[in-house]
Order: sequence, then structure tokens, then C-alpha cells
Amino acid sequence: MTDIAMTTWEGRRRSVDLSIPTFVLLALLLSVLVILPLFWIIYYAFRSDANGAFTFANFAALVTDPTLLRAYGLAVGMAFAVGVLSCAIATPMAWLVARTDLPGRKFIRVLVTASFVTPPFLGAIAYEILAAPNSGIINVLYRKIFGLDPAVVLVNIYTMSGLVFAIACFTFPYVFTLVANALDKVPSDLEDASAILGGKALTTLRRVTFPLVLPAMLAGTLIAILQSLTMFGSPAILALPAGFHVITTKIWSLFQFPPQLGLAAASAIPLLIITVILLRAQKMVLGRKGYTVLGGKSGSPRIVKLGKWKWAAGLFVLAVLSMTIILPYGAIFKTAFTNTASDPLNLQTITLKHWNFVLFEFSATQLALRNTFLLGILTATGVTIVALVTAYLVTRRSIPGSNYLGLLATAPIAIPGIVLGVGLFLSYANPTFQLYGTIWILLIAFMTIELPAGYQQMSSSFAGVHPELEEAGRIMGASRLRTLWDITTPLLRTSVIAAWCFVFVGTIRELSATILLTTANTKLVSVIIYDLNESGDLGAICVLGIILLIASFAVVYVANNVPVLGRSREPQTT
Amino acid sequence: MSFLELSGVVKKYGALTVIKDLNLAVDKGKLVCLLGPSGCGKTTTLRLVAGFVSANGGEVRVGGKVVSSAHSTVPPEGRNMSMIFQSYALWPHMTVFENVAYGLRLRRLPAEEIAKRVRAILAVTKLEPLETRYPGELSGGQQQRVSLARALVVKPEILLLDEPLSNLDANLREEMRFEIRRLHDEFRYTTVYVTHDQSEAMTTADIIVVMNNGRIEQAGSPEDIYARPETEFVARFIGGTNIFTGKKVAEDTVLCPGDFTLRCASGSLPANGQGAVSVRHHDITLSPQRMSETNSVAGKVERQIYLGSHRDYLVHIPGGETVRAVAPVNVEMSTGSDVWLHFPPEHCRALAQ
Repeated sequence: MTDIAMTTWEGRRRSVDLSIPTFVLLALLLSVLVILPLFWIIYYAFRSDANGAFTFANFAALVTDPTLLRAYGLAVGMAFAVGVLSCAIATPMAWLVARTDLPGRKFIRVLVTASFVTPPFLGAIAYEILAAPNSGIINVLYRKIFGLDPAVVLVNIYTMSGLVFAIACFTFPYVFTLVANALDKVPSDLEDASAILGGKALTTLRRVTFPLVLPAMLAGTLIAILQSLTMFGSPAILALPAGFHVITTKIWSLFQFPPQLGLAAASAIPLLIITVILLRAQKMVLGRKGYTVLGGKSGSPRIVKLGKWKWAAGLFVLAVLSMTIILPYGAIFKTAFTNTASDPLNLQTITLKHWNFVLFEFSATQLALRNTFLLGILTATGVTIVALVTAYLVTRRSIPGSNYLGLLATAPIAIPGIVLGVGLFLSYANPTFQLYGTIWILLIAFMTIELPAGYQQMSSSFAGVHPELEEAGRIMGASRLRTLWDITTPLLRTSVIAAWCFVFVGTIRELSATILLTTANTKLVSVIIYDLNESGDLGAICVLGIILLIASFAVVYVANNVPVLGRSREPQTT
Repeated sequence: MSFLELSGVVKKYGALTVIKDLNLAVDKGKLVCLLGPSGCGKTTTLRLVAGFVSANGGEVRVGGKVVSSAHSTVPPEGRNMSMIFQSYALWPHMTVFENVAYGLRLRRLPAEEIAKRVRAILAVTKLEPLETRYPGELSGGQQQRVSLARALVVKPEILLLDEPLSNLDANLREEMRFEIRRLHDEFRYTTVYVTHDQSEAMTTADIIVVMNNGRIEQAGSPEDIYARPETEFVARFIGGTNIFTGKKVAEDTVLCPGDFTLRCASGSLPANGQGAVSVRHHDITLSPQRMSETNSVAGKVERQIYLGSHRDYLVHIPGGETVRAVAPVNVEMSTGSDVWLHFPPEHCRALAQ
């Protein structure tokens, strides 16, 4: 009964109610952001590139053009391989970290979570440095140690398996985090119940614990699949030299001269559909059977003693961490400070010339850095405000149709970056808007991409603030706005800042949509990195990568540690 | 004219009507309890009075002024009321002092006046040593008292309480009941109190309004409600009772299926042929032999439990009913034995429906 009452839209008499105009404005804004690009994709998909007439030829090409078919086939194959590999690495690791007495498991967890910040394309470049067939550090060392011929290659990253490996290194944290959190939440009494019925430790693990975290594994795997399927950076860096296209790079290539916009639009549509299907599947997996044993009243999860297995487990975790964090970061740092990547590391080879080049000599970087941070700040601020107001309207005021608002705000999650890039190009790179070549088209793209994350964060934090806290303010005599300012705002401050940082970090590493929307005047760091990779300037790339990483970590650190911003007295919202 | 009046109030959520033509008048300074099972509309009624919910029909008047009607609703902040919420709704980012002072600050009182009044109310609610604490650092009972202090300090025209004790443990709940009554006696604010706990209502209320299914079943003093219920719902909801239904044979007498008659000294039976009678558990006398011609029936003891202060009996009577009776400890009859139940007419209450 109280629930119904809470969500009722309360009537007002004297003062003007701003929620209706705000609602209409937001609905318009979100519709433009989300629906317009999709509309143009569909429009162009039926439009002949040759004469602008209505045609089905673009869709026909999807099944007849072998290069498109092959790109889709390879992309799907790659994505599933990445999903399986991520799951295979992440699940045992999550279990070791969450449920065993492995030394340093807290630190390992922090490390894996931190690797979320690594842009995947930077990871791909790191593996280029490590495992390129000729100049890769691993191959060079291998040849040196065994005195082998320069033609001998130990590992080659420019292959399908290399690509899968390089992507999986940076998607496995999705599975890891979900599974580790799920393992944390499996109440130990469920396992105790199995033990008391006579289940041995392994049986309990197999029959109770494992089925309980299976949805988390599946959901994580699906995210990994989705991420790799829609990823542009890593395949562009690793697959193109290997001589094959995945679908994202294929769509990008259709934008090269002579542009085939209709074909690009048509090829984007299946990707959109696959994304929607994968997301639905993920929701279904997580939604069934009340698997998430949230809020269960139970003691700390039971910890398995590893005993003599401790060393094996430690080695496994160390190997994973080396491949996903230690080696790539080591390679990036080494390259940033030495002449060429494969130089031996000593005092003579250490140089700051790449830093000098990036920061002072190369004119494009300064502009790109400025653009990137400007866009990061604008996007983060814009998304946070829009998400905040949307979440407020949706959770607090049940204006008819407010659910539609929430739906719009989460819809872009189903639009892969490259598809959005196509849509935005078609929407705004025309004589009416003339936004192509400005940073505004990028701002629109980033806001659309980041909106779901911001909205989900804000709406869940609104859900955490009991409506009675606001009602108490109203009945004491504060107007709606005053209540928002005095009570809601301070309580949401931490999550607002967290959302801002999250969006900022997400924005400065975006490449998939950017690659189609950027021009010489609106270069971003991520695009410069991609360009420099084409010219083989790895030192400069690593310098830029380090700058991106430092900026990301700095933002996260500041948000977590500056008292005025984040760390206030813990609000104990009931 | 009463201070707070609800006349013909209707509230609908879509097709569902949760308040149906509700009429209620509360005199100034009275504490009225809205009592009923969950879903009966009592919280919605309270929120209508507060202005959080707008009415679809009827009027809410305070001091003769309409604050809610189908056309307009004065927002909560324009009503000079205060409210105590089920969750206490203490603002976690403000200290006890700041929580209590908030309403006064909104009223733009000078700082020293605010400090004086806050200190005074903290003294009354025994919270003085805690004024610099944050709500997260208080126990449940202390939070409850802060919530009371915050509501009282603004000297509201009407004080609203929404199941204020439901989050407390049993001992504390009992203590706070008396505390709320004590504070009411001290300040005499017109108060509307929502609860589903009958003993809470009995302790605190001047008037109890029993609600069911969006309607008022009966309103009256705690004694009225307990001793003189008018409907079966009220009789059952407040205190344990046995309900006997049967054929109406006289203006005040019902013939029950077990072939015994019940004459009622109070209440009135409905005009048609059927009637119901309520007899409280502890008003039934048990004896091994018959003591009167009417208002008694023979039965078999189905279960008896010794509870220290009394014995609790279940007695099976002809006609299929099982009667629950509470007897003094010295009335001891073993399970399976025959027993006579006597229903003194002065304790038989005829029910209108």
C-alpha cells in the first residue's frame, strides 16, 4: 500500500510544477539521442549508394557479399572464443580469490578490478610490442637465448588466436568480477546445509556452489562475448595486419573512400540485433530462479584451505596476472622510456625522447589531449546531469510515461559503438546539421554511449535513498526543490561523483564510435594512438597510453579520497 | 466544528478504490488512532492528510480550511504539519541537533531561538547527551526519539505518525507507547496515529478508528471499541472473541446451531432473520454443572493449557463450533471432560453486521 502511495504523483496548487516541462524536454532529448541515429541507419540501409533510390540491395549484399559474410563469421567466432577463454581463466581465479586462503587474494582482486581501466586497444598494442613476429620482445628474447635464426617465431599475435588471446586478457575481468561477487554472496549456510546432509567438500562445490554461481558465469561470459563482438580497436590493430576483417573493422572500411554508407548501415543492423539478443539472454540468465542470493543473512563465506595446492594455485594466478597486467604494462612502460621496444633495458637505452616528441614536438597530440579531456569533462558532466534528472523523474514521480524515459536512457547499451558511429554520421554529417568535424558530434556520441551506465548508477542510488527521507523534509516545511538541495543532493553526492568518474574514464578511452566521427581537427588521444600505430610509432603510443591511464587512475583516486568530494560520513540509508 | 475533518474522501489508484467515502472528524488536541489490517487504507488516509497523496473526491479540512479536494491539494510543506515515519526518516548526513533544527531553520527563526527550542525538546525526549551524534550512531529507540523531537519542535498544527513503533523490538515498543502518550499529554497536538497493533492503539489513543477495506468500521473511545463493538470485524480485530451466529428469535436473542439461545444485554441485531453475538474469551464462565436456563451450553474440553495467570480452554460444543474460553487457574477441568459454558447476558454483545 505504501509503495503505491509513494510513487503517486502529488498534485500541487500554488507553485508551478516544473516536472512536466522537464519531463517533456528530457523525453525529447533522449529520443533525439537514441532514436534519430537508429532511424537514419534504417533509412540508409534501404537507400542505394549509387543513385539514392529505395533498394534491398544492401541487405542482399549481407548474404551475397563473401567479404561481409566472412567478417561476420570471423567476428562471431572470435567473440565466442573470447567468451569461453575469459570464462575459463576467470572462474577458477574468482573461486581462488573469493573462497580460498590464497595469500594476497585481496590485492589480486584489486589488481584485476583495476585492469578494467586498461583500454583494450592499449592492451592490443602492448601485445604487439610483446609478440609481434619480428620485433616482439618475446620473440627477440627467444631467438637471442637459443641463438636462433631471425626467421624463427615463437609467438605471433597477428593471428586469429593471437587476437582472441589479446582480447580475452582484457575482457576476463567482467567474468571475474561477476563470479567473485556471486561467490561472496552464496551464503555459507547453503553450503553448510549440504555438508550436514553428508555432502563432501567437492560434492558441495559441484552440486551447490557451482550451480549457484553458474548464472554469474554465463552472464559474465555473455558480456565478454558482447564486448569483443562490438570492439573496434583490438581487431583493427591485430586483425588488419593479419589480413582479415571482423565486422567492426569491415564497417569502418566501408567508410573509406569511396564511402558505401548504405552498405555500412545495412551491415550494422545484424550487429545491433545480435547485441539485443545477447543482452536479453544475459538478463534472462540473471533474472531466473532468484539466483542472486542478495541480502541473505549469513556468516562470512566459507574459506577452503588450499594446503599443498597453494603453490599450484599461486602459480596459476601469477601466470594470469603476468599475461593480463604485468607483461602488458611492463611492455608499455619499457617502450615509453626506451628507443625501440626490443632494446635491452639499461641506463644507456633509457630516454625521454618519446615524451618529448608527444608532449612538445608532435603538434597533433596537444590538440588531441585537450579535446579528449574537454570531451571527457563535458560528457561526464552532461551525462551525470541528464541521468540524475531522469532517475529522479523515473523513481520519484510517476508521471505517465516515465518508464519510457528510463527505457530510452538504458537503450543505448544495446547499440554497439560502431553502429552508433554509423548512425550519428548519417544523422549529423549532412548539410542540415554540419556537425561532422566538430567536437559536438563526438559529445553527442559519448553522451549516448555513456548514458546507460550513468543512468543505472543514479537510479540505483535513488533507490537507496528512502523516499521517506524526502517526505520528511516536505512535511517539515521544505519545498520540493529545497528538499532536493538539502537532503537528496548530499545523500547522493558520493554516487554522483562516482558516476561522473565512471563516465569520464569511459569517455577518454572510447574508440569504436570515435573512429568514424573524428577528423583532423577533432582528433582524440585514442584516435592518435590508432594513427600512430599505423605508422609504427610505438614509443609515442605508450607515452599517450600512460597519460590516459594516469588520468583515469587520478580521477578515480581523487573521487575516492578527497573528503569534500566522495568520502563523507557514510550515509546509513535504510 | 472539529479541527481536522475528512468528508466523503475518495482515493483511487487506477481502477482500484482504496479509500471509499471516508468521513472523520477529530477535535483539537485529540489523539486519534487509525487501526486496521494492512491494506485497509489507513496509511493512505494519513498520507492524504499530509498532502503526499491527492484526493479523487471529497475534502480534507483543517481548522475549516480546505487543504485537499479533488481539484487542488496544498503541498505538504504548506500545511504546518509534521510526521513521524515508519523508517524514522532521519537524515543520515545531519547530526541529531541538525535534524531537529531543520524545521526551525526553514521557518527562519533566529539562531539562538533555534538552539533554545532544540535543546528544550531534546531535554524532554532525553536526548541531550546525543545532540552531536549522527543517526547511524544511535540505537533504534534513540532514533525514534529523535524523530519525535524533530516532529514536535516545529509546534505543528497536526502531528502524523505512520506505524512509528513497528521497527522496534517488543520491550522498547511498549516503553515508547507510553512515551508517545506522555508527550501528547504534555503538548496536546492534534495527532493522527496509524497502527495495526491494537494494544498500541489502546494505550495511546483518545479515539480509535477501526478501518477495513477502505472504510471506517467503527470509531470511538478505546472502551467503546473493546466493550461495545458494532461489527464482527471490530469484535474480532480488537481482543480475542467468540462469534456465534444464529437465527434471531427475539429483539435481543439469537438461537444458535447448538440449540441454545443467547440473550444480549447490549448492542442491536440486524433487522433480518440472522444475527451474530460476540462473547470475549475471558467473559465465559466454565462449570461442571448447568447454572442457568438460557445463555449456556454443554460441551467437551478439547484442550486446556495452564498459562500461570489463567487457563486457556478450547471447548467443542454441539453444532460443530469450538469455543475458546479463558478461566481462572482454579477452574481446572481435564481434556475430554464434559463442561457447561455460561455466557452472561451482560457480556454478550449483539452485532449489527
